[in-house]
Amino acid sequence: MTALVLGAGGFLGLNLVEELLAAGVAPRCGRRGRGNVLVLRKLQVPLVRAELDAPLELEQAMDGCATVFHLAGHYPRLSIDPTGALATGLGQLRNVLEAAASAGVKRLVYVSSAATAAPAPSGSSDETDVYPARPGHGAYHDLKWEMERVALAEDRFEVVVACPGACLGPWDLRVGTSALLVATARGLDPPHPDGWINLIDARDVATALLRLSTLPSPPRRVLLSGGNHRLHPLLRELALHYGVAPPSPPLAADRAIALADAEEARAAREGGRPAVAREIVDLIVRGVPLDTRLAEDALGLRCRPLAETLSATDAWARRMRLIPDGPHLEAVPR
Amino acid sequence: MTLTPSLETRIIHMISQLSAVRPAEIGMQDRLREDLGLDSVCSMELISMLAEELDLDVALEEAMAVTTVSGAVEMARRHVLAKAG
Repeated sequence: MTALVLGAGGFLGLNLVEELLAAGVAPRCGRRGRGNVLVLRKLQVPLVRAELDAPLELEQAMDGCATVFHLAGHYPRLSIDPTGALATGLGQLRNVLEAAASAGVKRLVYVSSAATAAPAPSGSSDETDVYPARPGHGAYHDLKWEMERVALAEDRFEVVVACPGACLGPWDLRVGTSALLVATARGLDPPHPDGWINLIDARDVATALLRLSTLPSPPRRVLLSGGNHRLHPLLRELALHYGVAPPSPPLAADRAIALADAEEARAAREGGRPAVAREIVDLIVRGVPLDTRLAEDALGLRCRPLAETLSATDAWARRMRLIPDGPHLEAVPR
Repeated sequence: MTLTPSLETRIIHMISQLSAVRPAEIGMQDRLREDLGLDSVCSMELISMLAEELDLDVALEEAMAVTTVSGAVEMARRHVLAKAG
């Protein structure tokens, strides 16, 4: 298999590259003008320029590739410009799709988000629970919904869509989902709402993506989660384990959204990261429990236990000096 | 004869690209985060750019440990010297 990985230097990308290498596939790794390729250089994989705003460059990067993994879908740093985020995200996705069609790609595995899973009439949501229109929960949800719509409308080649929940594990260089866990481990008592989160190990996502690329008849769209958890009780258990004070009670959804909006406005003015990101709040307060039987049945996916994922996240955070020396996650929440 | 810009000059230009701070305003003792506004992701990007330009093999932990302009220069110099044998 000749495959191109867009977003190879990112969190999921590095896990996928390792998975591909372990499977005997040497992927071509797309890189942008800016970015961190230290790990890819260590892995000695071929790097190719693939700026998402440069259609010709994308087409050249895909030349000779039957498979493209697109893990570089736009993730706006802040949620304060929904129109701009949509324009960037959809423009870049269309560039990728056009390039893939021109380059003769057979299958594109597109990584979306569990944010596109709508609430089920009752119980857990599965792949049939979709929003009929933009969810309207915030810039991130709307962007992911629109991008998925465009990806699934592609008919010049095969597109399969993976919708992972909150990813944890090694190579989380930007400290995304794990930020709340790391802050709790450090006793920082991060402000947070409560809600459903669908945790999954990034290595399990990588396994799922590889299988989506090789199965003769993969599902068109699949939800990926290792388990459904309520955030606040999980943080409470983590605090207990790390020997820090328990987290403050969760914020009501509207208060959490207001705080995130204020923090994003501050970050836009002064730089830096918001203490609470709006899309994270939206993902938590709009989160739904997921039914992942399709991933289990069609992909044969068996996700790692949460304990293993949290231990790997702990080890990664220590490696990156995000968690100081202290109790390790040896006995973690169930 | 072509004069190669010094390591310091090259690194300062890279930082300028990443931070939008003009090269003339970047000092060797400046801290990447506090003085130049480079967060940890941007700092990693800086070391990655440096590794590519000079063909250096830098570990993530080593990149994380760089917090100042002079630290980046020292790290690069150490690698260049080690590579030269």
